Amino acid sequence: MSEALENLLTNPSIWRGQAKTGSPGWQGLASGYPKLDQHLAGGGWPRHALTEILLDQYGTGELQLLMPALAQLSQPGNEQEESEEAGWIAWIAPPFEPYPPALQQWGVNLSRILIVRTRGGKEALWAAEQALTSGNCAAVLLWSNELDDAASRRLQLAAEAGQSWVVAFRALKALTEPSAAALRLHLHAGERGTDIDILKNRGGRPAVVRDYAG
Amino acid sequence: MSASEKPPARFREATPTPAVESVRRPATLQLAFAEPAEQATSFAATIPLTHLWLCIYLPSLPIEALTGRETAAAVCEERHGVRRILLANDSAEAAGVAAGQTVNAALALLPALYLADRDTLREAKTLQRLAGWCEKFTSFVCMEPPSLLLLEIAGSLALFGGIQALRQRIVTELTSQGFQAAVAIAPTPFAATWLSRAGRRVCIRDPKNLVSQLGSLSIHYLGWPDAVCASLKGMGVTSVSEVLRLPRQGFAKRFGVKRLLQLDRALGRLPDPRVSYRTPEQFVANHELSEEQSDAGLLLNVCKSLLEKLEKFLRSRQIAVQDITLVFFHLETAATHLSLGCVQPDRAVQHWLDLLQIKFDRIHLPAPVIAVQLSAGRGQTFTAATETLPFNRQKKTQDSSIAHLAERLSARIGDESVHGVTAVAEHRPQYAWQAHNVLDTVPHCQNGQICMPDPHAPELLADLRRSNSLVLQRPLWILTEPQPLESRRKLPWYQGALTLLRGPERLETGWWDDNGIARDYFVAANPAGVRLWVFRDRGQKLPAWYLHGMFG
Repeated sequence: MSEALENLLTNPSIWRGQAKTGSPGWQGLASGYPKLDQHLAGGGWPRHALTEILLDQYGTGELQLLMPALAQLSQPGNEQEESEEAGWIAWIAPPFEPYPPALQQWGVNLSRILIVRTRGGKEALWAAEQALTSGNCAAVLLWSNELDDAASRRLQLAAEAGQSWVVAFRALKALTEPSAAALRLHLHAGERGTDIDILKNRGGRPAVVRDYAG
Repeated sequence: MSASEKPPARFREATPTPAVESVRRPATLQLAFAEPAEQATSFAATIPLTHLWLCIYLPSLPIEALTGRETAAAVCEERHGVRRILLANDSAEAAGVAAGQTVNAALALLPALYLADRDTLREAKTLQRLAGWCEKFTSFVCMEPPSLLLLEIAGSLALFGGIQALRQRIVTELTSQGFQAAVAIAPTPFAATWLSRAGRRVCIRDPKNLVSQLGSLSIHYLGWPDAVCASLKGMGVTSVSEVLRLPRQGFAKRFGVKRLLQLDRALGRLPDPRVSYRTPEQFVANHELSEEQSDAGLLLNVCKSLLEKLEKFLRSRQIAVQDITLVFFHLETAATHLSLGCVQPDRAVQHWLDLLQIKFDRIHLPAPVIAVQLSAGRGQTFTAATETLPFNRQKKTQDSSIAHLAERLSARIGDESVHGVTAVAEHRPQYAWQAHNVLDTVPHCQNGQICMPDPHAPELLADLRRSNSLVLQRPLWILTEPQPLESRRKLPWYQGALTLLRGPERLETGWWDDNGIARDYFVAANPAGVRLWVFRDRGQKLPAWYLHGMFG
């Protein structure tokens, strides 16, 4: 195959059904859980894209799943050459209060946390888009029940434009709805710990991860 | 330097001639103004005229003060019961409207003519604004209402590249702002004033030339009352040189010592101290619309032009403001106030405009708007951000732009809605953290490193977490108010019976602020696999269970 074609195919926005998992043209953000990383394209969370996490109920291990990656993003100098400064992490419309002592235990830099409380789901979407396009949030966590196909597309584009990672938490009923997210996960309690169903995996394949933290 | 610390007085005493007291005053009983040539030259040496005054005369100020009129417009004034045109702009003059015409005649010539009554207040404000603008050329600007500005430029020549360059620049910039100006330069304020009023674009640097240049001026340009001029004319005196030939004593007696003094000052025989204008530090600007408007786009444009004025004002002072207030006036109802604030002092038009746009979407104007007023809060010293070199791709402006983000969010959602968090060294869980303003505790960069308070070494923590011991387990989600849980068979119930995994961790007291607690905390799991942080309140007789957090 010609070199030009090879180059073209390494473009992360091209998804090839035949592609071998784990070898796309980009490097993912290590999730800190090897069991999960081996199934994710690029060996980690897709940077600069939308990740959707579907939940039965809050507290099923969704934050623990993100903590190692968030800790890494919020600490200075840990990222690659792109920016040496610590990135901000925006929490948009969280359902409860994130508890700083616990965040600190996970190694998250508290001085880089921005919490935004909104009055409605639409406003939360707007705030998330603002945070993404501002270009100084390394990660945006969003809780909104107004997220639909169009909104997910907007978020995906904003994430690409602002080069940041957006994680949207959605109720399980969104399972059947279409979404532009690069990665969709369904978290639920398993026999031994929290299981993850990888529903959609751009550049990789759907999979099931049992007890991701174990 | 902030606005409120300044006294409200806008003027400061000036000392243009430091050697005032030591100057030998000429005898008042000198017989005539005119002296032999050699005496005049020796005279100049007695008063050191180190100053150079540039006078800006704005003959068309009444019409120029009517800003934003592209179409034919004229200013009229009532004289002897007849409204006459005082001044007309170019497009009106092209249609034949001329000064002195009656209003009816002018309207017959041009029915679409916009007529405004002369407004001296408006002119004074325009002149004041120009005086502020002139402060960029010199520290000493003197306002001479109704239409004159005096600038002391001796000290500015080196900076602006000489007298002609400075004068050229002033004239060009005034023209671009839409003002026709006659500019004259002379060593004394009066001489400069009179020459510019006469429209003589002269530049006198040597005091010796004053007598000859002023001599040919008509007495009309001296700004004396009509009665005085008429009486002088009756004596056959029409020019300054002829006035100077009159006996001093008689002149003073007939026309007042004040005018004699003026002539002496104009010729540099007496010192002429002036007061300098100092622009007020508080910025207030108005924009009146010709008709009521409710179109958001148009109002935003008006706000933009006001914000541009603000930026100019702030830039010339090297200050920035943190809050501004816009007032939209309506004809019938009370005015709508709109306040904007930003985290860091700023002055960029675009930034304010962005905030305004967000806010504008959400406010409801009860009625169309007839006028807009912009006032700025107290000024603060502006610290400009350092630009990075193009090859340095780091996002160095992160802190400032997170401030912009926080402002944008709080502009739309509300001030309380955006915050950061900190941990507090406190054993009671509900007091172990605090919300704070995002930028309050942002640590400043030192040598490119973020120095942040790091209570625990991350490596140690990671080790402890792995070994699953010693570290007190804290949930990632906390409820603001603990939620009472039902208990069945002495065990808490949350969507099913809870299994206690770890605990108890006993947390007690708080006598120092009367918010003591007596709780046993447990890590529990419900059948759905949700790990919870629950506690048993030991302060009550019956064991009462509460949910306080989730491990997420």
